[in-house]
Amino acid sequence: MTAQSAGLPQARRRPPSWRRRDRWWGWFFVAPQTIGMIVFVLIPFTLTFALSFAKWSGLGPIRWIGMSNYTDQLTDPVFLRSIVNTFVIALITVPVGLGASIVVATLLEKLKTRSIYLVMFFAPVVTSSIAVAMIWQQMLRADGMISEFLATVFGITPPDWLGDPRLALIAVCMVAIWSSMGLNVVIFLAGLKNIPPSVLEAATVDGASAVSQFFRIKMPLISPIIFYSTIVAVISSFQTFDIVYVLTNDAGPDNATRTMVYHIYDVGYRSAKFGVASAASVILLLITLVVTMIQLAAQKKLVNYDL
Amino acid sequence: MTSKRSTILAAAAAGALMLSGCGGSSGQQPAPSSGDTTAPATVVWSTWGSPSELKRYEDFNSKFKEKHPNITVKLQSVPSYSDFHAKLLAQLTSKTAPDVFYVGDDKIGQFVDSGALLNVTDVLKAPNAVAPYDAFNPATFGAATNDDGIFAAPNDVNPDALWYDKTALKDAGITDDPATLAAAGKWTTDTFLAMNAKLKAKGKTGTMFWNYWATHYGWISSQGGKAYDGDKFVANTDPKSVAAVDQLGKLFQDKTFVVADTLPSGAGADSVFISHKAGFFAQGRYTIGTLKEAGKPENYDIVDWPSPDGTPPSTGLAASYLAINAATKVPDAAKLFWSEYLSAEGQKIRLAGGGNAVPSIKGADDVVLDGYPEHAQTFLDMRDRGFVNYAAEARVPGLSTDIAEKKFLPLYQGKATAQETLDGVADLIAKAK
Amino acid sequence: MTSEATTSRPGLRWGPIVMHAGLIIAALAMVFPFIWMVLTSVKTLGQLLNAPLSLLPDPFTWDNYINSWNAVAFPLAYWNSAYIAVLSVVGTLITSAMAGYAFARIKFRGSGVLFVIFLATQMIPKQVTLIPTYVVMSTLGWVDSHLSLIVPAMLVNPFAVFLMRQFILSLPIELEEAALIDGCGRLRIFFSVILPNLRPGLSALAIITALDAWNNFLLPLVLLNSPELFTVPLLLSQFQGQYAGVNYGLIMAASALSTIPMLIVFIVAQRQILNSMASSGLGGK
Repeated sequence: MTAQSAGLPQARRRPPSWRRRDRWWGWFFVAPQTIGMIVFVLIPFTLTFALSFAKWSGLGPIRWIGMSNYTDQLTDPVFLRSIVNTFVIALITVPVGLGASIVVATLLEKLKTRSIYLVMFFAPVVTSSIAVAMIWQQMLRADGMISEFLATVFGITPPDWLGDPRLALIAVCMVAIWSSMGLNVVIFLAGLKNIPPSVLEAATVDGASAVSQFFRIKMPLISPIIFYSTIVAVISSFQTFDIVYVLTNDAGPDNATRTMVYHIYDVGYRSAKFGVASAASVILLLITLVVTMIQLAAQKKLVNYDL
Repeated sequence: MTSKRSTILAAAAAGALMLSGCGGSSGQQPAPSSGDTTAPATVVWSTWGSPSELKRYEDFNSKFKEKHPNITVKLQSVPSYSDFHAKLLAQLTSKTAPDVFYVGDDKIGQFVDSGALLNVTDVLKAPNAVAPYDAFNPATFGAATNDDGIFAAPNDVNPDALWYDKTALKDAGITDDPATLAAAGKWTTDTFLAMNAKLKAKGKTGTMFWNYWATHYGWISSQGGKAYDGDKFVANTDPKSVAAVDQLGKLFQDKTFVVADTLPSGAGADSVFISHKAGFFAQGRYTIGTLKEAGKPENYDIVDWPSPDGTPPSTGLAASYLAINAATKVPDAAKLFWSEYLSAEGQKIRLAGGGNAVPSIKGADDVVLDGYPEHAQTFLDMRDRGFVNYAAEARVPGLSTDIAEKKFLPLYQGKATAQETLDGVADLIAKAK
Repeated sequence: MTSEATTSRPGLRWGPIVMHAGLIIAALAMVFPFIWMVLTSVKTLGQLLNAPLSLLPDPFTWDNYINSWNAVAFPLAYWNSAYIAVLSVVGTLITSAMAGYAFARIKFRGSGVLFVIFLATQMIPKQVTLIPTYVVMSTLGWVDSHLSLIVPAMLVNPFAVFLMRQFILSLPIELEEAALIDGCGRLRIFFSVILPNLRPGLSALAIITALDAWNNFLLPLVLLNSPELFTVPLLLSQFQGQYAGVNYGLIMAASALSTIPMLIVFIVAQRQILNSMASSGLGGK
């Protein structure tokens, strides 16, 4: 989407006289963000890339060791596990979170008074992720309310949500969905409200049921929004850190909730293996790039820009 | 403009550091602010801890300021232990580290070897030292020393005592009091294990241990084995040690003992202990805070670890160290703060009234003997007999954690035998060198 | 906006009931953790341990609030977080609208390449460059200073640049062309023509930026050392983890103290916030 709009064909004509000074103005206007990008993104990233070929603990000298950080990481079961966990989080939170948001937005669109619901759904969005994780950590503790409720009311052995390696990752996904759903609901609701009533009236006259109207008409019409939200959701699920850090107390039992970003933090910052962490960073960036490319390619087939 | 100025400043700072590095001992600079100890200076120090622990440190700060009005003291803190060391390392790398700081016992060797710490041998051994070397148990310096001297001193220690829950023991039909048995010299491994078996029969956990070096090496030592001979790991070739680890592994495998780290989430082991679901819990003096918070401290007391013949054994001491930044700009004020913090008086201020540790220095013992727990003297005895983590292990970053998580945890989960475990540990240690 | 599709179609009477029931359950699930947080924060430890299922506090206590308020410096942290957020928002709005304007309307050499670089940097997670960022900050002398949080927030936001570009592209070009032909400079056009017409986009961006700044955790965790500089999430994280003890009423009181100000701001300004989030469309063009 972005590449297309960047190269929008413009009518070629001789620039009027006021355009001559424009290139200076162009650089003037982009200067602050460009300087920021160079100093705080490109330079650090170049350093990361360089360090990925080095062994450095911060205090001693830097030693250049070629590709061995990469081979070390790609054969490290802990790192591979963090990749798998990151993909699991993306594969659960993106479809479930966006799907639920679309359903809620569709239902809300039919209501006349929806602001009270919107406030309730949006409240987690304005809550800091650290607070979110701390509240859920206490709710989900093994001797906590949810477990006691299950045990007392249903008489089942309560699961240890955050201590059981299989459940801990699910708990992370659940909390991530809970905390981000409101934003997507608001965005999808706005998209649905922007559909011209004439389009829907035509379909109602045709006698389409509510469900088929939704899938045949509304979904395609808001598909650009869905697509955009998907890209954002995937990128942010790839960056899951705060929740894992607090909710599951340092990546959970047996690294069950270790994500790639947590891995980079743990190896690089906590264990001071800066070279190894840099290699992991470069790998994370490559994975993010590839996944985004795949999404951009899929967009051409699935997204409707006719509206 | 700004960045240019900062670059110049950074270069100047680097130059100054190099100068002080080269001519550290010559001391020919005029050193305006460090001429005498009453000159105005700001000492920044850092540690980890919860908000309530930080209150105690602030108390010390204000007492210190009263005594030395010219010196401003600032505390920096990080809640999590591992984040603390990560931040410290980043600060040292970027020359923004505090003047005085805590270092954990599993990290101290690494920091000593990096050259980032000031040699404090002269401070400890000065004739008028307020925290003289002789007042410490020399065994507690561990990896804080090397051939060049001493680079940090233990600011306090925590013997891993066996806390026991009188209510839980009574529920399990145990009539003997462990501390009374210990006082009579009858606190044997057999007695201890018989109690654990009764607790288990009642559906309770026998004993909870944290999975770290003090648990496995403490058990080996208390059962008559030997983990290290000097700097050499020998447990895998010592039959008594192998037998002790085998026994320990079996007790974990049949759930008589439980690894506290793997308990259900939430407050985990603390909650289990407070709700009378476990008999014993190997922890330090910081447990007092938890028990008082939960409201029934009189139900709990402490006892030594058992030994085969009932003589009190030597067991693990968790320690943390106080060090001075080698690059501090206020060495005299930093040394003054460091000494007073470690002195008997300083440790009393921090550790009185249910403090979280046991003094590392002689002369402050009465803060422990404030009436709780009943056998608080045991803490002091354990400190005097105990050992800190072996220097050979503490010098390698992450080694002790790797040994606990990659070697002993599988044993406790029944995935390895004692011999395999100890051979694996020997391997890890050999590789680390 | 005003034409709502109503659901009163014959033969679908169960539909609205099921729909409402579903929405109510879902909405309650969204707010239950907040209610639980508040109820837990006014319970005693004894009740929490002995009767984990009881919903209402018995007895009621303010102790947890008093203790957590006294344990750390909340007022200072509110102030730190608030002013960092405000400066970050103002800076982001100006710099990203400027860059967005240049990319949307001004032809200058290298703009295509530069824009692609901006889009690509959007994909670099901040955490990836954590350690080099620390090195850069310490070279600038900004470790343990709010500058290390404010300046990057003001100057680095490729997402905002992209969003602003899309908004400016959707403005009718005639607005500016008239002004240009009248001889107005670019700067004047930007301030008197573009910015006023950009209001919906700017307000949406302001909200997103404020939330990001308020929630920022990893960078302050790594870069700030002195307690008097701590932001709210950093302060809150002090209550977390193994040193927090068993009293989770205290933890919930601290959580409430850190979340409630933001929730109040949101509830007071909910109409404006939700409307501007909705009208932004967030680049779904």
